[in-house]
Amino acid sequence: MSTVRRGRKGGKYTLMEKRSFPWIYAFLFPTLLLFAVFYVEPIFQTFVTSFARFNGYTPPQWSLDFSDLGGTIFRNYTRLFSMNSFGPAIRNLLWWSLIAMTVHVGIGTAVGVLLYNRLRGWKFVRIVYMVPNVISGAAWAMIYRFMFNDDIGVINNLIRRLDPSSHIQWFYSSPAAFWAITFTWVFYAVIVALVVMGDLMAIPASLHEACEIDGASGFQKLIHIDLPLCRNAIGTSVLLSVTSRIAMYENIALTSRGGPGNDTYGLALILTKSITDFNYGLANATAMLMFVFGIVTMQIINRVFRMNDPVY
Amino acid sequence: MKLFQKLVSLALILMMALSLVSFAAADGVVEVTLPTYKTGENVGAIFFEPLVERFNAAYEGKYHITLEELTQDMYTDKIKQLGAANALPFLIEGGDTEWIKQVVIPNDMFVDLSGLIADNNLMDILIDSQVAYNTTEDGKVFSICVPVTRPMGLYYNGSMINLGDKTCADLSWDEFIAVLGDNKIAFMTGENAWTTQLVLGSLIAVEEGGAELLSSHTIDKLMDYNQPCIINAVAKLQKMMQENGTSNQIGAVYADAANAFMSGNAAVIANGSWMVGDFAEDGGKWSNGFNGADVRGDVLPGNVALANNDGFQYWIPASATAEQQEVAKAFILFTLQQDNIEAYMLAEGGVAPKLTPSEEYVAAASKNKLLYEYVNAVNADTIIVPNVGDIMTSSIGNTEFGNLLPLLISGELTPEAFCQQLTVLAQETALD
Repeated sequence: MSTVRRGRKGGKYTLMEKRSFPWIYAFLFPTLLLFAVFYVEPIFQTFVTSFARFNGYTPPQWSLDFSDLGGTIFRNYTRLFSMNSFGPAIRNLLWWSLIAMTVHVGIGTAVGVLLYNRLRGWKFVRIVYMVPNVISGAAWAMIYRFMFNDDIGVINNLIRRLDPSSHIQWFYSSPAAFWAITFTWVFYAVIVALVVMGDLMAIPASLHEACEIDGASGFQKLIHIDLPLCRNAIGTSVLLSVTSRIAMYENIALTSRGGPGNDTYGLALILTKSITDFNYGLANATAMLMFVFGIVTMQIINRVFRMNDPVY
Repeated sequence: MKLFQKLVSLALILMMALSLVSFAAADGVVEVTLPTYKTGENVGAIFFEPLVERFNAAYEGKYHITLEELTQDMYTDKIKQLGAANALPFLIEGGDTEWIKQVVIPNDMFVDLSGLIADNNLMDILIDSQVAYNTTEDGKVFSICVPVTRPMGLYYNGSMINLGDKTCADLSWDEFIAVLGDNKIAFMTGENAWTTQLVLGSLIAVEEGGAELLSSHTIDKLMDYNQPCIINAVAKLQKMMQENGTSNQIGAVYADAANAFMSGNAAVIANGSWMVGDFAEDGGKWSNGFNGADVRGDVLPGNVALANNDGFQYWIPASATAEQQEVAKAFILFTLQQDNIEAYMLAEGGVAPKLTPSEEYVAAASKNKLLYEYVNAVNADTIIVPNVGDIMTSSIGNTEFGNLLPLLISGELTPEAFCQQLTVLAQETALD
């Protein structure tokens, strides 16, 4: 297959193509401008000021003394890595990512498959499953605060029916706080369900018919046809779920606030805390780390799920 | 057809232009929006909302202030964010003291109010030490405070505990706890753990060297909590929270703590005089037979009251337009009128040292027995010190202190470890 798609006669463009260049650039310009202003420039600024002493109000100050890297140019990074809350934040990120990749995406995929098969009541399930998605994460976090309340919360009251002496401070004791925060997002996988359903619906009917002729059971169809053909959708879902964990803020800030102690800290919380203490250099170093984690996650998932390879 | 389209377009443009002109010219009222947390259910709303209404009425046709509702714990952060975006409102009440001292004042982001003070002889009424605190090295005045000092103490439910012929000024915390018995104190760990902070402040104040420590760190925040007076006070707080804390104290926000008190689940709550209004009438906040008439106001045990006159209040950002500055100055002067200061004291308590009270005020104040009792609980021997939150850096006072309290209550952190954690966190937040 030829990879040369454009240009003829020794790589030169035709006159007609050349005439259309100004129009192509003209139509691309607004998009490029928006991309440069709203994406490239902030990322560049964040990167540059992550090496600076910067309070967000006065001009950033850089120290270009490379003789003491930890104490000068990389001051914000060394400070970030030595923070008490950094270790728990990374540990939590790894665990939440693992749960997102397996349980969260698993639930979403299962719901997607159930909806696709149009079992009885599927329309009702679809609506019920969609509703939480139209409620903001912040509102959910508040609802969960009440649900997990020790005095009036429905969860503790149910537990007390079995064990009257039980008093679990869900958001304020370890390890309950980690799981309580996990429960605020793990079941809500509407996006995953929709993405998977989209891929399932694109599977040619002839494939399923061939399976049926060969005598494959419903489970065999699912394992050998449906799920492999949803590889890109599942990969995309894993990517979205993990990057959401990197940026997760409301679910923590509005419930445990990173506590008890720093047991449920996340990188986004370190970032906002740094801003609260108007240490924007440190906040931007945290942002860069989140950015790098996002890129690395994307690369790994692209490879593992072979996202760039054709499925069919 | 094309001609018709052109005519319609021109007509629409003309109409839009005319509507803009008429909006600006016909009305003539300078309208401004004031973000504040003193609205709705916030205790500060009892005084502040009517004050703004009176201002709007007094300047009808000239100025109009519309309140934008914010929650109290997000106010300072919101103001900082607006500052970073160069979009500060026309008038600001206080804010993060570190941000003000390290960013706003050094960068001249405020309007100098010294002229306003001189032109209106405001030194006749303002508290000298407050003005001095607000005066920069080059003689500019950053903010103007309402000249009322309000030492904070506690409230207790007289139907649940009986101090006999004694007051909290006569009792140590140990003696007070003995009287308290199995009754509870409305502690909280959510938000900035306000009511818990007040109790801790009073416990530190009675420790050796504690009062001096609290008084000396309102400007340069405390970075080392590994001090005997704090460790001892935290140990006492731990015992109190374990034995006399309400069942909802962990994770409780201010509304939960107040609800615990006004539902009879707690017999004591530490808070400022502004809470008096909550006990004047039910207003839907009372339950379980709670009666505001049973509430008594006092200083904190050990004869401690908490007050920090070193603070910032109304200031005008330099980014405000000339018209906005005019409204802001008019509003500041309005709040300093005698009737408004007296209305403030009636609603939220406090004393205005330079004000000669009017007869109307004296008559009204004497009717509010609780407020009168609360304000007059302070005597010559009362130890008046800043609250512990005043000596903490922003993130420690607003979040981290409350985050560590559940571990202190559960015993996972000893008082020494609790103070060590605070120290580490304080040093992490320090600007380099």
